[in-house]
Amino acid sequence: MSGDLERRYRRVLRLLPGWYREQWEQDMVAAYMDSWLTGDAYTDACVLEYCKPGGAEVASVAGLAVRLHLAGPGTPRRYAWGQALRRAVLAVLLVHAVLAVDVLVFLVQSRRLVGWLPASSVSLLTAASGGAWARVYCLVCVAWMVIFVMQALGRYRAALVLAVLAIVPGLVALLQAQRTGVMPAPFGPWVFWVLIDLAPVLVMTTFGRDARPAAPRPWLLALPAGYLLVYAPLLALQATGNIAWLPDFSGLCCLLVSLACLMHAPRVWSRRVTGTGSWSLTLVVLAAAAGAYRIFSLTDYLNDPHLIAVSLAEVLILLAAVALVAIDAARAQAATPYPHALTG
Amino acid sequence: MTGQAFFVLTALADGPRHGYGIVGEVAELSQGRVNLKIGSLYGVLERLAAEGLIEPDREEAHDGRLRRYYRLTGDGQSALAQEAALRAAIVRVARARLGRLAAEAGG
Repeated sequence: MSGDLERRYRRVLRLLPGWYREQWEQDMVAAYMDSWLTGDAYTDACVLEYCKPGGAEVASVAGLAVRLHLAGPGTPRRYAWGQALRRAVLAVLLVHAVLAVDVLVFLVQSRRLVGWLPASSVSLLTAASGGAWARVYCLVCVAWMVIFVMQALGRYRAALVLAVLAIVPGLVALLQAQRTGVMPAPFGPWVFWVLIDLAPVLVMTTFGRDARPAAPRPWLLALPAGYLLVYAPLLALQATGNIAWLPDFSGLCCLLVSLACLMHAPRVWSRRVTGTGSWSLTLVVLAAAAGAYRIFSLTDYLNDPHLIAVSLAEVLILLAAVALVAIDAARAQAATPYPHALTG
Repeated sequence: MTGQAFFVLTALADGPRHGYGIVGEVAELSQGRVNLKIGSLYGVLERLAAEGLIEPDREEAHDGRLRRYYRLTGDGQSALAQEAALRAAIVRVARARLGRLAAEAGG
Protein backbone atom coordinates (compact mmCIF):
# COMPACT_ATOMS: atom_id res chain seq x y z
CA MET A 1 0.00 0.00 0.00
CA SER A 2 1.42 3.37 -0.98
CA GLY A 3 0.11 6.83 -1.74
CA ASP A 4 0.66 10.53 -1.42
CA LEU A 5 2.13 10.23 2.06
CA GLU A 6 4.94 7.98 0.80
CA ARG A 7 5.57 10.30 -2.14
CA ARG A 8 5.75 13.31 0.21
CA TYR A 9 8.15 11.51 2.54
CA ARG A 10 10.39 10.43 -0.33
CA ARG A 11 10.48 14.06 -1.41
CA VAL A 12 11.80 15.00 2.07
CA LEU A 13 14.39 12.21 1.82
CA ARG A 14 15.82 13.89 -1.27
CA LEU A 15 17.63 16.17 1.19
CA LEU A 16 19.90 13.22 1.96
CA PRO A 17 23.02 12.50 -0.14
CA GLY A 18 22.48 10.07 -3.02
CA TRP A 19 24.92 7.46 -1.71
CA TYR A 20 23.04 7.42 1.61
CA ARG A 21 19.59 7.13 0.03
CA GLU A 22 20.79 4.26 -2.10
CA GLN A 23 21.58 2.34 1.06
CA TRP A 24 18.88 3.44 3.51
CA GLU A 25 15.90 5.02 1.72
CA GLN A 26 13.74 1.91 1.29
CA ASP A 27 14.17 0.99 4.92
CA MET A 28 13.44 4.53 6.11
CA VAL A 29 10.27 4.66 4.02
CA ALA A 30 9.15 1.27 5.38
CA ALA A 31 9.73 2.38 8.97
CA TYR A 32 8.02 5.71 8.35
CA MET A 33 4.95 4.11 6.78
CA ASP A 34 4.81 1.58 9.65
CA SER A 35 4.62 4.53 12.04
CA TRP A 36 1.43 5.77 10.33
CA LEU A 37 -0.52 2.75 9.17
CA THR A 38 -3.07 1.23 11.54
CA GLY A 39 -4.28 -1.85 9.63
CA ASP A 40 -7.76 -0.37 9.27
CA ALA A 41 -8.41 0.05 5.53
CA TYR A 42 -10.53 3.24 5.77
CA THR A 43 -8.20 5.00 8.26
CA ASP A 44 -5.12 4.01 6.28
CA ALA A 45 -6.64 5.29 3.03
CA CYS A 46 -7.30 8.67 4.70
CA VAL A 47 -3.79 8.74 6.19
CA LEU A 48 -2.16 7.97 2.85
CA GLU A 49 -4.15 10.60 1.05
CA TYR A 50 -4.22 13.52 3.50
CA CYS A 51 -1.33 13.21 5.97
CA LYS A 52 2.11 14.66 5.39
CA PRO A 53 5.45 14.51 7.22
CA GLY A 54 5.41 16.76 10.30
CA GLY A 55 7.91 19.51 11.10
CA ALA A 56 9.81 17.39 13.65
CA GLU A 57 10.18 14.53 11.15
CA VAL A 58 11.39 16.89 8.40
CA ALA A 59 13.80 18.52 10.89
CA SER A 60 15.26 15.14 11.86
CA VAL A 61 15.89 14.28 8.19
CA ALA A 62 17.31 17.78 7.52
CA GLY A 63 19.65 17.45 10.52
CA LEU A 64 20.85 14.07 9.30
CA ALA A 65 21.33 15.51 5.79
CA VAL A 66 23.47 18.41 7.04
CA ARG A 67 25.64 16.06 9.08
CA LEU A 68 26.08 13.63 6.18
CA HIS A 69 26.81 16.36 3.65
CA LEU A 70 29.42 18.08 5.80
CA ALA A 71 30.89 15.63 8.25
CA GLY A 72 29.47 12.19 7.80
CA PRO A 73 31.31 9.01 7.00
CA GLY A 74 30.14 6.86 4.13
CA THR A 75 32.37 7.85 1.24
CA PRO A 76 36.03 8.79 1.09
CA ARG A 77 35.01 12.18 -0.30
CA ARG A 78 32.65 12.94 2.60
CA TYR A 79 35.12 11.64 5.14
CA ALA A 80 37.96 13.75 3.77
CA TRP A 81 35.76 16.85 3.77
CA GLY A 82 34.59 16.11 7.30
CA GLN A 83 38.18 15.90 8.54
CA ALA A 84 39.20 19.00 6.61
CA LEU A 85 36.27 21.03 7.94
CA ARG A 86 36.96 19.96 11.53
CA ARG A 87 40.56 21.12 11.20
CA ALA A 88 39.58 24.32 9.36
CA VAL A 89 37.14 25.19 12.15
CA LEU A 90 39.87 24.57 14.72
CA ALA A 91 42.20 26.83 12.74
CA VAL A 92 39.62 29.65 12.68
CA LEU A 93 39.01 29.17 16.42
CA LEU A 94 42.78 29.36 16.87
CA VAL A 95 42.73 32.74 15.10
CA HIS A 96 39.98 33.87 17.49
CA ALA A 97 41.97 32.64 20.48
CA VAL A 98 45.16 34.41 19.31
CA LEU A 99 43.19 37.65 18.80
CA ALA A 100 41.68 37.18 22.27
CA VAL A 101 45.13 36.82 23.82
CA ASP A 102 46.16 39.95 21.90
CA VAL A 103 43.24 41.99 23.24
CA LEU A 104 43.75 40.80 26.81
CA VAL A 105 47.51 41.48 26.70
CA PHE A 106 46.83 44.91 25.22
CA LEU A 107 44.31 45.72 27.96
CA VAL A 108 46.65 44.53 30.69
CA GLN A 109 49.50 46.64 29.28
CA SER A 110 47.54 49.77 28.46
CA ARG A 111 45.88 49.87 31.89
CA ARG A 112 49.11 49.00 33.72
CA LEU A 113 47.45 46.04 35.44
CA VAL A 114 50.87 44.36 35.72
CA GLY A 115 53.50 46.82 36.92
CA TRP A 116 56.57 45.36 35.22
CA LEU A 117 55.05 45.25 31.70
CA PRO A 118 55.65 48.29 29.44
CA ALA A 119 52.64 50.59 29.06
CA SER A 120 52.61 50.93 25.29
CA SER A 121 51.86 48.06 23.00
CA VAL A 122 50.65 47.29 19.52
CA SER A 123 47.46 45.40 18.80
CA LEU A 124 45.76 44.09 15.68
CA LEU A 125 42.39 45.04 17.06
CA THR A 126 41.23 48.13 18.87
CA ALA A 127 39.90 47.22 22.28
CA ALA A 128 36.67 48.85 23.41
CA SER A 129 37.43 51.98 25.39
CA GLY A 130 35.34 51.39 28.50
CA GLY A 131 31.94 50.78 30.00
CA ALA A 132 29.69 47.76 29.63
CA TRP A 133 30.80 47.00 26.06
CA ALA A 134 34.44 46.73 27.21
CA ARG A 135 33.46 44.17 29.83
CA VAL A 136 31.40 42.20 27.27
CA TYR A 137 34.34 42.39 24.86
CA CYS A 138 36.71 40.94 27.47
CA LEU A 139 34.23 38.19 28.31
CA VAL A 140 33.88 37.30 24.62
CA CYS A 141 37.69 37.15 24.31
CA VAL A 142 37.96 34.77 27.26
CA ALA A 143 35.07 32.75 25.77
CA TRP A 144 36.90 32.30 22.43
CA MET A 145 39.94 30.91 24.23
CA VAL A 146 37.73 28.46 26.15
CA ILE A 147 35.87 27.51 22.95
CA PHE A 148 39.15 26.77 21.17
CA VAL A 149 40.41 24.58 24.04
CA MET A 150 37.07 22.72 24.27
CA GLN A 151 36.98 22.09 20.53
CA ALA A 152 40.58 20.85 20.57
CA LEU A 153 39.67 18.45 23.40
CA GLY A 154 36.64 17.13 21.50
CA ARG A 155 34.00 18.77 23.78
CA TYR A 156 31.96 19.71 20.71
CA ARG A 157 28.59 20.36 22.33
CA ALA A 158 29.92 22.67 25.06
CA ALA A 159 32.11 24.49 22.51
CA LEU A 160 29.10 24.99 20.22
CA VAL A 161 26.88 26.42 22.97
CA LEU A 162 29.59 28.89 24.04
CA ALA A 163 30.37 29.81 20.42
CA VAL A 164 26.71 30.62 19.70
CA LEU A 165 26.75 32.96 22.72
CA ALA A 166 30.12 34.45 21.73
CA ILE A 167 29.04 35.60 18.26
CA VAL A 168 25.94 37.43 19.48
CA PRO A 169 27.66 40.56 20.94
CA GLY A 170 29.53 41.06 17.66
CA LEU A 171 26.27 40.94 15.71
CA VAL A 172 24.58 43.36 18.13
CA ALA A 173 27.53 45.77 17.87
CA LEU A 174 27.42 45.61 14.05
CA LEU A 175 23.67 46.22 13.92
CA GLN A 176 24.04 49.12 16.34
CA ALA A 177 26.89 50.63 14.28
CA GLN A 178 24.85 50.18 11.11
CA ARG A 179 21.82 51.84 12.68
CA THR A 180 23.74 54.81 14.09
CA GLY A 181 25.85 55.24 10.93
CA VAL A 182 29.23 54.85 12.66
CA MET A 183 30.29 51.70 10.77
CA PRO A 184 34.03 52.15 10.03
CA ALA A 185 33.79 50.41 6.62
CA PRO A 186 30.79 49.27 4.57
CA PHE A 187 31.45 45.54 4.22
CA GLY A 188 34.65 44.46 6.02
CA PRO A 189 33.16 44.08 9.53
CA TRP A 190 30.19 42.14 8.15
CA VAL A 191 32.43 39.86 6.11
CA PHE A 192 34.52 39.22 9.26
CA TRP A 193 31.40 38.35 11.26
CA VAL A 194 29.94 36.05 8.58
CA LEU A 195 33.18 34.23 7.64
CA ILE A 196 35.14 34.21 10.90
CA ASP A 197 32.31 34.17 13.48
CA LEU A 198 29.16 32.68 11.95
CA ALA A 199 30.51 30.17 9.39
CA PRO A 200 32.59 28.12 11.89
CA VAL A 201 29.62 27.99 14.27
CA LEU A 202 27.37 26.69 11.48
CA VAL A 203 29.93 24.00 10.64
CA MET A 204 30.26 23.14 14.34
CA THR A 205 26.54 22.31 14.47
CA THR A 206 27.25 19.35 12.18
CA PHE A 207 29.84 17.70 14.45
CA GLY A 208 28.42 14.60 16.09
CA ARG A 209 29.45 13.86 19.68
CA ASP A 210 31.32 10.83 18.43
CA ALA A 211 33.14 12.68 15.60
CA ARG A 212 36.82 11.77 15.68
CA PRO A 213 38.63 14.54 17.61
CA ALA A 214 41.90 16.08 16.44
CA ALA A 215 45.08 15.34 18.40
CA PRO A 216 44.70 18.03 21.11
CA ARG A 217 48.34 18.56 22.15
CA PRO A 218 49.67 20.14 18.90
CA TRP A 219 46.59 22.36 18.67
CA LEU A 220 46.93 23.57 22.25
CA LEU A 221 50.62 24.31 21.69
CA ALA A 222 49.64 26.23 18.54
CA LEU A 223 48.01 28.95 20.68
CA PRO A 224 51.20 30.37 22.25
CA ALA A 225 53.11 29.58 19.04
CA GLY A 226 50.52 31.43 16.93
CA TYR A 227 50.64 34.43 19.25
CA LEU A 228 54.44 34.61 18.95
CA LEU A 229 54.31 34.03 15.17
CA VAL A 230 52.03 37.03 14.68
CA TYR A 231 53.21 39.40 17.36
CA ALA A 232 57.00 39.00 17.20
CA PRO A 233 57.05 40.48 13.63
CA LEU A 234 54.47 43.04 14.75
CA LEU A 235 56.72 44.26 17.56
CA ALA A 236 59.71 44.23 15.21
CA LEU A 237 57.83 46.43 12.72
CA GLN A 238 56.90 48.80 15.51
CA ALA A 239 60.45 48.94 16.90
CA THR A 240 61.91 49.72 13.46
CA GLY A 241 59.28 52.36 12.68
CA ASN A 242 57.83 50.31 9.81
CA ILE A 243 54.37 49.65 11.23
CA ALA A 244 52.82 50.97 7.97
CA TRP A 245 54.03 47.71 6.35
CA LEU A 246 51.61 45.74 8.51
CA PRO A 247 48.83 44.34 6.30
CA ASP A 248 45.22 44.66 7.42
CA PHE A 249 43.59 41.66 9.09
CA SER A 250 42.24 40.05 5.92
CA GLY A 251 45.66 40.50 4.28
CA LEU A 252 47.32 38.93 7.30
CA CYS A 253 44.95 35.94 7.01
CA CYS A 254 45.96 35.52 3.33
CA LEU A 255 49.66 35.69 4.19
CA LEU A 256 49.38 33.25 7.11
CA VAL A 257 47.48 30.68 4.99
CA SER A 258 50.05 31.16 2.20
CA LEU A 259 52.85 30.57 4.72
CA ALA A 260 51.11 27.40 5.95
CA CYS A 261 50.79 26.15 2.33
CA LEU A 262 54.50 26.82 1.70
CA MET A 263 55.46 24.95 4.87
CA HIS A 264 53.20 22.01 3.94
CA ALA A 265 54.23 21.83 0.27
CA PRO A 266 57.58 20.01 0.81
CA ARG A 267 55.71 17.21 2.60
CA VAL A 268 53.24 17.00 -0.29
CA TRP A 269 55.96 16.69 -2.90
CA SER A 270 58.14 14.36 -0.87
CA ARG A 271 57.82 10.71 -1.91
CA ARG A 272 58.66 9.55 1.61
CA VAL A 273 55.70 11.24 3.35
CA THR A 274 52.19 9.85 2.86
CA GLY A 275 48.76 10.87 4.13
CA THR A 276 49.22 14.60 3.54
CA GLY A 277 46.00 15.00 1.53
CA SER A 278 43.73 15.72 4.46
CA TRP A 279 45.88 18.66 5.57
CA SER A 280 46.09 19.87 1.97
CA LEU A 281 42.28 19.89 1.80
CA THR A 282 42.17 21.79 5.10
CA LEU A 283 44.51 24.42 3.67
CA VAL A 284 42.39 24.72 0.51
CA VAL A 285 39.30 25.34 2.67
CA LEU A 286 41.16 27.97 4.72
CA ALA A 287 42.53 29.58 1.56
CA ALA A 288 39.01 29.82 0.13
CA ALA A 289 37.81 31.54 3.32
CA ALA A 290 40.82 33.90 3.48
CA GLY A 291 40.51 34.71 -0.24
CA ALA A 292 36.79 35.43 0.06
CA TYR A 293 37.43 37.64 3.09
CA ARG A 294 40.15 39.53 1.19
CA ILE A 295 38.05 40.03 -1.94
CA PHE A 296 34.85 41.10 -0.17
CA SER A 297 36.72 43.52 2.10
CA LEU A 298 38.31 45.16 -1.00
CA THR A 299 35.16 47.28 -1.16
CA ASP A 300 36.48 49.17 1.89
CA TYR A 301 39.37 50.52 -0.23
CA LEU A 302 37.60 51.54 -3.42
CA ASN A 303 39.04 55.07 -3.18
CA ASP A 304 42.63 53.93 -2.61
CA PRO A 305 44.31 52.36 -5.70
CA HIS A 306 47.49 51.59 -3.72
CA LEU A 307 45.65 49.47 -1.14
CA ILE A 308 43.65 47.78 -3.92
CA ALA A 309 46.93 46.82 -5.61
CA VAL A 310 48.39 45.52 -2.34
CA SER A 311 45.23 43.51 -1.67
CA LEU A 312 45.27 41.96 -5.15
CA ALA A 313 48.94 41.06 -4.64
CA GLU A 314 47.94 39.26 -1.42
CA VAL A 315 45.29 37.31 -3.35
CA LEU A 316 47.84 36.34 -6.02
CA ILE A 317 50.33 35.16 -3.39
CA LEU A 318 47.56 33.10 -1.79
CA LEU A 319 46.56 31.55 -5.14
CA ALA A 320 50.16 30.66 -5.97
CA ALA A 321 50.71 29.08 -2.55
CA VAL A 322 47.48 27.10 -2.54
CA ALA A 323 48.20 25.78 -6.05
CA LEU A 324 51.13 23.87 -4.52
CA VAL A 325 48.78 21.72 -2.41
CA ALA A 326 45.59 21.76 -4.51
CA ILE A 327 46.32 18.58 -6.50
CA ASP A 328 47.12 16.68 -3.31
CA ALA A 329 43.84 17.94 -1.81
CA ALA A 330 41.90 16.67 -4.83
CA ARG A 331 43.60 13.26 -4.58
CA ALA A 332 42.73 13.06 -0.85
CA GLN A 333 39.04 12.91 -1.62
CA ALA A 334 39.47 9.54 -3.28
CA ALA A 335 42.12 8.10 -1.01
CA THR A 336 41.28 8.88 2.63
CA PRO A 337 40.42 5.73 4.59
CA TYR A 338 36.98 5.81 6.18
CA PRO A 339 34.82 3.67 8.44
CA HIS A 340 32.80 1.15 6.45
CA ALA A 341 29.08 1.76 6.34
CA LEU A 342 26.42 -0.92 6.39
CA THR A 343 26.57 -3.46 3.63
CA GLY A 344 24.11 -6.21 2.94
CA MET B 1 27.90 6.64 23.78
CA THR B 2 24.88 8.90 23.28
CA GLY B 3 21.61 8.23 25.06
CA GLN B 4 19.89 7.40 21.78
CA ALA B 5 22.57 4.88 20.80
CA PHE B 6 22.28 3.26 24.25
CA PHE B 7 18.51 2.92 23.84
CA VAL B 8 18.84 1.46 20.33
CA LEU B 9 21.43 -1.12 21.41
CA THR B 10 19.27 -2.04 24.41
CA ALA B 11 16.25 -2.41 22.12
CA LEU B 12 18.23 -4.89 19.99
CA ALA B 13 19.60 -6.80 22.97
CA ASP B 14 16.67 -9.25 23.14
CA GLY B 15 16.60 -10.01 19.43
CA PRO B 16 16.59 -8.52 15.94
CA ARG B 17 14.10 -5.71 15.23
CA HIS B 18 13.14 -3.65 12.19
CA GLY B 19 13.22 0.19 12.13
CA TYR B 20 9.75 0.89 13.48
CA GLY B 21 10.09 -1.99 15.94
CA ILE B 22 13.13 -0.21 17.40
CA VAL B 23 11.20 3.09 17.64
CA GLY B 24 8.41 1.34 19.57
CA GLU B 25 10.79 -0.53 21.88
CA VAL B 26 12.77 2.65 22.66
CA ALA B 27 9.53 4.47 23.51
CA GLU B 28 8.54 1.61 25.82
CA LEU B 29 11.99 1.36 27.46
CA SER B 30 12.03 5.11 28.11
CA GLN B 31 8.43 5.07 29.36
CA GLY B 32 7.41 7.35 26.51
CA ARG B 33 10.13 9.96 27.13
CA VAL B 34 12.15 9.17 23.98
CA ASN B 35 10.18 9.22 20.74
CA LEU B 36 12.74 8.73 18.00
CA LYS B 37 11.95 10.36 14.68
CA ILE B 38 12.83 8.22 11.67
CA GLY B 39 15.57 10.64 10.55
CA SER B 40 17.15 10.52 14.01
CA LEU B 41 16.83 6.71 14.22
CA TYR B 42 18.60 6.14 10.91
CA GLY B 43 21.33 8.62 11.86
CA VAL B 44 21.99 6.46 14.94
CA LEU B 45 21.68 3.17 13.00
CA GLU B 46 24.15 4.38 10.38
CA ARG B 47 26.72 5.32 13.01
CA LEU B 48 26.29 2.07 14.92
CA ALA B 49 26.63 0.09 11.67
CA ALA B 50 29.73 2.07 10.69
CA GLU B 51 31.26 1.28 14.10
CA GLY B 52 30.41 -2.42 13.66
CA LEU B 53 28.07 -2.53 16.66
CA ILE B 54 24.99 -3.66 14.67
CA GLU B 55 24.46 -5.49 11.38
CA PRO B 56 21.54 -6.47 9.16
CA ASP B 57 19.83 -9.69 10.17
CA ARG B 58 17.24 -10.33 7.43
CA GLU B 59 14.66 -8.63 5.23
CA GLU B 60 10.94 -9.40 5.25
CA ALA B 61 8.22 -8.19 2.88
CA HIS B 62 5.37 -6.31 4.58
CA ASP B 63 2.61 -4.40 2.74
CA GLY B 64 4.71 -4.36 -0.41
CA ARG B 65 7.77 -2.95 1.34
CA LEU B 66 10.90 -4.64 2.60
CA ARG B 67 11.52 -4.37 6.33
CA ARG B 68 15.16 -4.77 7.24
CA TYR B 69 15.86 -6.30 10.64
CA TYR B 70 18.98 -5.39 12.63
CA ARG B 71 20.86 -7.33 15.29
CA LEU B 72 23.69 -6.67 17.71
CA THR B 73 27.18 -7.83 16.75
CA GLY B 74 29.67 -9.22 19.26
CA ASP B 75 31.27 -5.76 19.48
CA GLY B 76 27.81 -4.29 19.99
CA GLN B 77 27.16 -6.62 22.94
CA SER B 78 30.51 -5.67 24.51
CA ALA B 79 29.89 -1.94 23.99
CA LEU B 80 26.40 -2.23 25.48
CA ALA B 81 27.71 -4.22 28.46
CA GLN B 82 30.40 -1.60 29.15
CA GLU B 83 27.94 1.28 28.84
CA ALA B 84 25.36 -0.49 31.02
CA ALA B 85 28.00 -1.13 33.72
CA LEU B 86 29.05 2.54 33.61
CA ARG B 87 25.47 3.76 33.85
CA ALA B 88 24.68 1.27 36.64
CA ALA B 89 27.68 2.53 38.62
CA ILE B 90 26.47 6.13 38.20
CA VAL B 91 22.98 5.09 39.31
CA ARG B 92 24.43 3.44 42.45
CA VAL B 93 26.35 6.62 43.31
CA ALA B 94 23.30 8.81 42.65
CA ARG B 95 21.11 6.61 44.86
CA ALA B 96 23.67 6.60 47.67
CA ARG B 97 24.00 10.37 47.57
CA LEU B 98 20.25 10.89 47.41
CA GLY B 99 19.90 8.50 50.37
CA ARG B 100 22.38 10.59 52.36
CA LEU B 101 20.55 13.78 51.42
CA ALA B 102 17.24 12.28 52.50
CA ALA B 103 18.78 11.08 55.78
CA GLU B 104 20.22 14.56 56.48
CA ALA B 105 16.88 16.18 55.67
CA GLY B 106 15.06 13.67 57.93
CA GLY B 107 17.53 13.91 60.83
